[in-house]
Amino acid sequence: MSKSLGSLLLIVLLFAACDYKPRNQGRVLYERNCQSCHMESGQGLGRLLPPVANADYVVENRAELACIIRHGISGPIEVNGVAYEGEMEGNLQLTDVEINNLVHYILVDLNDQKEHYVIGEVREQLVKCSQGGK
Amino acid sequence: MSRSKWLLPIGVVLLLVSCGEELKKELPVLGPYKVVDEVVDGVFVTDTMFTTIRPFSFTDQDGNEITHATVDGKVYVTDFFFTSCPTICPKMKQQMLRVYDAYEDEPQLVLLSHSIDPIRDSVGRLKEYADKLGITSDRWHMVTGDRDSIYSMAKHYMIAAQVDELAPGGYAHSGAFLLIDRNKQIRGIYDGTSEDEVDALMDDIQWLLNE
Repeated sequence: MSKSLGSLLLIVLLFAACDYKPRNQGRVLYERNCQSCHMESGQGLGRLLPPVANADYVVENRAELACIIRHGISGPIEVNGVAYEGEMEGNLQLTDVEINNLVHYILVDLNDQKEHYVIGEVREQLVKCSQGGK
Repeated sequence: MSRSKWLLPIGVVLLLVSCGEELKKELPVLGPYKVVDEVVDGVFVTDTMFTTIRPFSFTDQDGNEITHATVDGKVYVTDFFFTSCPTICPKMKQQMLRVYDAYEDEPQLVLLSHSIDPIRDSVGRLKEYADKLGITSDRWHMVTGDRDSIYSMAKHYMIAAQVDELAPGGYAHSGAFLLIDRNKQIRGIYDGTSEDEVDALMDDIQWLLNE
């Protein structure tokens, strides 16, 4: 009895562990930090809030994404041919690893990018914007 | 023993049967009411009088004066928001936009969004916001007005809204959508950030339009 309970527990734990892929953490982080403005599938809202899914700006500015997430962005930008103004606040509460997983989710899942995003790449970017000040 | 053995399955069957019925579609009137005793045709009767939404006057994104007369005899959905709100408002507007799109050809339905930030949300700023959202003032009024009137109206609709320096954006407010019938009585309260609840709202709108 206790043996079967133990194996059941193990299976549950295994499933829970499987869910803890970087990408899944990225999705959870997206839901917590980004979704209220960029919407559940990253589609944005009219000309008020830019999309982050299938968005040319995201793909073209791959090297800036980590800093944008951490420090925010303001002023006019163009996404998929539409001009957006306004301001996005930074997310200083997110760690380097969390930003890595978030960017990974945005690039791979929301923009179908094949090339993976690695922690080294994110750290390099974040060092730049922590020194120069953005 | 044998009797109690059957109780559970019978209960389950009864529950399923009762859930299977279309129980819905008697939308209650919500809000404060008074019980009134009166004499009608010589007969003593007791009646329940529900509060109706009181008169108001605000200005929408095109500078039109929007009053209780604007929604006379119409069904309307109302909420409170502000354009620089960083938290729940975009979701609320996304969901309200679904209602707007679904009732494109329905002149009997009006949408009325109040800004709780009249200092920043001028008519011009509401116009810009509405344009970017892609909506027009003939069916969706985004109104601003005297601060105290807006807040007292929110309270009248039973919606929480207040200045809160600690809240993101400077205001704390509820994301509720209220459904008001042709007699200016509140018939439903929904979470305006939830797709499921807004689906239910649209069912109820249809029901009220057919009432």
